[in-house]
Amino acid sequence: MTEGSTIPSPRAQTIVGAGVLLVAGGMAFGALQISGEAGYGGVGPNFLPWLCTVVLAICGAWLVWEARTGGYREMSEASGHPKADIGSFVWVSAGLLVNAALIGTVGFIVSCTICYVLAVQGLRRAARQPQAGSVGTWVKDVLTGLAISAPVFWAFTQFLAINLPGLTGTGWL
Amino acid sequence: MEIFDALLAGFATAITPANLLWALVGCALGTAVGVLPGIGPAVAVAMLLPITAKVEVTASMIFFAGIYYGAMYGGSTTSILLNTPGETASMVTAMEGNKMAKSGRAGAALATSAIGSFVAGTIATVVVTLFAPGVAEFAVKLGPPEYFMLMVLAFTTVSAVLGQSALRGMTALFVGLALGCVGMDQISGAARYTAGQMELLDGIDIVLVAVGLFAVAEVLYAAIYEGTVNETQNKMSRVHMTARDWKRSWPAWLRGTLIGTPFGCIPAGGTEIPTFLSYATEKKLAKGEDKAEFGGKGAIEGVAGPEAANNATVTAALIPLLTLGIPTSNTTAVLLGAFQNYGINPGPQLFTSSAALVWALIASLYIGNIMLLVLNLPMVGLWVKLLKVPRPQLYAGILIFATVGAYGMRQSAFDLFLLYAIGILGVVMRRFDFPTAPVVVGMILGPLAEAQMRNAVALGEGSWWIFLQRPMSLTLVVIVALVLIVPRVMRRMAARKLASS
Repeated sequence: MTEGSTIPSPRAQTIVGAGVLLVAGGMAFGALQISGEAGYGGVGPNFLPWLCTVVLAICGAWLVWEARTGGYREMSEASGHPKADIGSFVWVSAGLLVNAALIGTVGFIVSCTICYVLAVQGLRRAARQPQAGSVGTWVKDVLTGLAISAPVFWAFTQFLAINLPGLTGTGWL
Repeated sequence: MEIFDALLAGFATAITPANLLWALVGCALGTAVGVLPGIGPAVAVAMLLPITAKVEVTASMIFFAGIYYGAMYGGSTTSILLNTPGETASMVTAMEGNKMAKSGRAGAALATSAIGSFVAGTIATVVVTLFAPGVAEFAVKLGPPEYFMLMVLAFTTVSAVLGQSALRGMTALFVGLALGCVGMDQISGAARYTAGQMELLDGIDIVLVAVGLFAVAEVLYAAIYEGTVNETQNKMSRVHMTARDWKRSWPAWLRGTLIGTPFGCIPAGGTEIPTFLSYATEKKLAKGEDKAEFGGKGAIEGVAGPEAANNATVTAALIPLLTLGIPTSNTTAVLLGAFQNYGINPGPQLFTSSAALVWALIASLYIGNIMLLVLNLPMVGLWVKLLKVPRPQLYAGILIFATVGAYGMRQSAFDLFLLYAIGILGVVMRRFDFPTAPVVVGMILGPLAEAQMRNAVALGEGSWWIFLQRPMSLTLVVIVALVLIVPRVMRRMAARKLASS
C-alpha cells in the first residue's frame, strides 16, 4: 500500500472479512430455528438460509485469507481522501439518528429540518468551509431545511395522500 | 397487425392529459436526478415508491419509466461537463466527452449524446414492441426449472462478471439473498430471521435497502471521504453539431444501438460491457485524423457510440423485466418492486393479464423519448445550472427525501434506524470495493428464485437432476458454466500471451 492510497489497510480488510464470517454465524444461528419441514418437494424453508450461511462462511474465510496474504485482489482505488473525517461523520449520523428518534413525536417537518441542519453542518465541516458553525450558517440552514421539508411534507400528505407524521393533526404542520 | 393494434390502444391510454403530465414530470425529474451527483434513477424510483399506495398503476409506471429514461439522458450531461462521472454507465461517455469539452466542444458532445440516446432509445423501443410479445409467448412454456436457471444466470452475471472480483461480487450477492430471507417464507409461511419483531415479518423493504445503500451511503461517504474533493466544471459551448459531426455520429449511433440492444435483452445486466465494447469498436474503426482525436482532443464517435449503446441496453432491459420478471439492474429491480406493490408479478402472463398497462407503458417510452430530446437539447442550459447547487446543501437535502421514501412506506421509526445501518453497510462496501447491484438484485430476485427452485425440485419428485433432464434447463446450466469459466480462461490466456511476448 502506497502512501495516499485509498485502499484500506490489510487490518481493516481482515475486519471486514471477519464481519462477513460473523454474518454467516448469525445466519447459522437463525437457520437452526427454522423448521426443515420439506413437504413432498424435498426442499424446506431452511434450505436457502443454510446455503447463504455456507457460502458467506466460505467468502468470509476467503476474504480474511486474501487480507492476510497481501490484501484483497484486484482492488481499485476508491474516490476521495485516504483518511476518514470522523467529525463530519458524527454530525451526519447524529442528524439521521435524531430524525429516527424524533419523527414520531415532533412530526416530519421539524424532525427533518433538524436532520438537515445537523447533516449540512457536518458536510460544511467536511468541505472545510471557514464559515461552518457560525450563527449565520445555522440560521440559513434552519431556513433552508424548513424550505425543503415543508413543501415535501405538503406535497406528499396533501396531493399524494401519503401518511407522514405531523406535529398537529392538521396535515399542514 | 395484432401488435400494431395493441400499441395503438397503448398510445390512446398514454396520451390522456394526466398520463402525459406524469410522463413529463417523470422525464424532467429523471433528467434532474441524472444531472445531480449523489442520486441515480434507482434511488429516485425507490424514494418515490410510496406513491404506489395512491397513484393508479398505469400512471405511476409511466412516471417511473420517465425517471428511468430521463436519468440516462441527464447522466451524460454531468459526465461531459464535470471531471467526475457519476455512474459506471456514463464512465465511457466521460472519457471522450470530457476531452471534447476541454477542447471547447462541450455543445457538440452534449448534442451527439442526446440525439444518440434518442435514436438508440427509439430503435430499442421498436425492438421491445416487436419482440417482447414473442418472448412472452415463448416464456409461457418455461417451467420452474428453466425459470430458476434464468435467475441463476442473472445472479451469475451480476455478481461474477461485473465488478473487479468475483469473490466480492459473490459476497455481495449472498448478503442480498440473506436479506431476502428475512420475513415470512413464501411457500410454507414459516417466519425466518424475524427475532420476534413484528416489523420484520413482512420482510425488509426494497425501498429501505436501495435508499440506504445508495442515497444514505452516498451522503455518509461524501461527509467521511469527499469533503474537500475539488470539482472543475468544463465550459459550456453552443449546442450544435457541424456537418462533419453528423457524418461521424450517425454510424456510431447505429453501431452502438446494435451492440447495446442484445445486451439488454439477455438476463445479464449492466451497461458496462456494451458501452466499453462500443467504445472499443469506434476506436478501432476510426481512421486518420478522427483516430488521432481519441484520447487527445476527444473524438465524437467515442461519445456517440457508447451513449447509444447505453440507452439501447437500458431500454431493451425492459424485455427480460416485462416478459420474464427478471431485473438485470438496480433500477429494473426497483421497478419490479413497484409492480409487486400493486400485486402484479411481471412475467409471461403480464402481456395477457395486464395488456393495457404493458402497452401504455411501451407507448409512453416513445413519447418519453421525444420529450427527453426536447428537454435535453434546447433546454440543456437549464439542467447545467443544477450543477451549481452547493454539495453540502444538496447532500443534506437528499436525506429529507430519503426519509420520505423510507418512512412513507410503513410509518415505522424502526425503519429509519435500519436505513442508517444499511447506509453504513453501503459506505463499507464502497470503500472496500464491493459491488452493490448484486445486493439489490439478490434481495428482490432471491425469494422468487427460491420459490421456483422449490417448485422445480418438487416437480422432479425431490430430485435435483430435474435441472439437467430438461433440454432448455440443461442449456441454461451450460451457459451459466460458460459465463463463469470463459472470462477467466481468456484472462489467463491473455496474461500468458503477455508474459511470453
